[in-house]
Amino acid sequence: MIDATTSARSIAASVRAGKTRARDVVAGALERIARRNAALNAFTAVLGERALADADAIDRRLAAGDDPGPLAGVPFAAKNLFDVAGLATLAGSKINAGHPPATRDAAAVARLRAAGAVLVGALNMDEYAYGFSTENTHYGPTRNPRDPSRIAGGSSGGSAAAVAGGLVPLTLGTDTNGSIRVPAALCGVFGLKPTFGRVSRAGVVPLAWSFDHVGPFARHVADLAAAFDAIAGPDPLDPACSTLPPPRCSGELERGIDGLRLAVAGGHFARLAADEALAAVTRVAAALGARREVSLPEAHRARAAAQVITACEGSAYHLENLRARAADFDPMIRDRLLAAALLPAAAYLRAQRFRAWYRARVAEVFREVDVLLAPTTPWTAPAIGAPWTTRIDGTEVPTRGHLGVFTQPLSFIGLPVISVPLVSAGALPVGVQLIAAPFNEAVLFRVAARLEADGVVGAPVAM
Amino acid sequence: MSEPVRVTDADVERLAAQVGLTIAPESRAAVAQHLAGLLAAVLLLDEFALPEPIEPAPRFDP
Repeated sequence: MIDATTSARSIAASVRAGKTRARDVVAGALERIARRNAALNAFTAVLGERALADADAIDRRLAAGDDPGPLAGVPFAAKNLFDVAGLATLAGSKINAGHPPATRDAAAVARLRAAGAVLVGALNMDEYAYGFSTENTHYGPTRNPRDPSRIAGGSSGGSAAAVAGGLVPLTLGTDTNGSIRVPAALCGVFGLKPTFGRVSRAGVVPLAWSFDHVGPFARHVADLAAAFDAIAGPDPLDPACSTLPPPRCSGELERGIDGLRLAVAGGHFARLAADEALAAVTRVAAALGARREVSLPEAHRARAAAQVITACEGSAYHLENLRARAADFDPMIRDRLLAAALLPAAAYLRAQRFRAWYRARVAEVFREVDVLLAPTTPWTAPAIGAPWTTRIDGTEVPTRGHLGVFTQPLSFIGLPVISVPLVSAGALPVGVQLIAAPFNEAVLFRVAARLEADGVVGAPVAM
Repeated sequence: MSEPVRVTDADVERLAAQVGLTIAPESRAAVAQHLAGLLAAVLLLDEFALPEPIEPAPRFDP
């Protein structure tokens, strides 16, 4: 019986074994989307007939004795920042809705389809990926399946909500400053931000060229690994994509964590956060026996540098539209991009120089540690329309912007991170970041698999 | 610790003109607030003494 709770791996096994038709799996996902999306607003486009036709093609290949791939018949969806052939790539905007339809799929979408997965739709997001809340003015807010009065997080809010709500078992999102990890934590699902350059960004609208990442969301570690294995690897169409051979993380899940050096990030990563966010790290650390604490030097300045680089690269990309049609931007995004366009070039270069220094210091930390633990967000999901600022430990901080306080110092130096979910009855979910050295996703999967097997983390469907 | 950065609507108007942007009057206060936030981040970086050899140049491998 395939239903909303079935893992991608189980779906693929059943389809590949001929026990279930891909068409029935996809039809089930389309029925759940039709039933629940009006309440969640996770999808901005649903590819009904086309998805069923793709599923039929999988079934025909199986009947002919072909291998349709390791994700045969698994329904998935992608943030509408990804090109999907035949759809205008909205990027959460009104401006891009007037663009012609994409003529080919983004690389990551194409790779999942080549692995047998079936694309069923495109997902809501913050305009141009420049936000943490998916309270999109043009397309409405995406609601958190764990509590629909609350945000799903962003900018890949639809990607997290669709998985948490059981609409699909797999989605794709992007992460520059936390846009996979933040919504994964707030919705209570697994999210992977791979090493910069691990997954092609070809066919994805940029926010900040120098640290945009593509990655998957899932409710099971094995599903996350299977999706990562399918999408990772070199791509000449992405000039920043590494030429290193792709990893095979699905084979790492049973290796356990013996011999891994685990530590908790202190300092910046233990301040200005609610008790539940810090308690989650303590709980995960205790389960793993991680007693050591380390500091990433000047992490608060690293966050500042990430903000400056994002602002400069983002405003540079959108400058012509800011000049010609600023009124068509989402006001929440427009005013930030306009401000960013006024920064001097020296600020950008100062931030880039700091980035080089900080990357070298953090590399030294990872000579002594394999996996570092830190909170994903400083608190649980705020209410939709929450006040602009929140007071914590006597300090007034932006309610939405502060959601990235622990993710930003990591992604702008390209480190791979999995956000693992802690979901318990009667409470909103929280996430913990598992962080490793560049190109060492495999150790993250080993730790995440152990935590999931021990019941410390997990992502039940929010019904 | 840095002093809060102050940016006025007039600052925004003047800077915007230099980069060819027209910022609607009703947006200037919000833009000024966001720019102050970004400049505070820049100040945080300026206050940190980076070693002289640190540079942002890319590396070209054969």
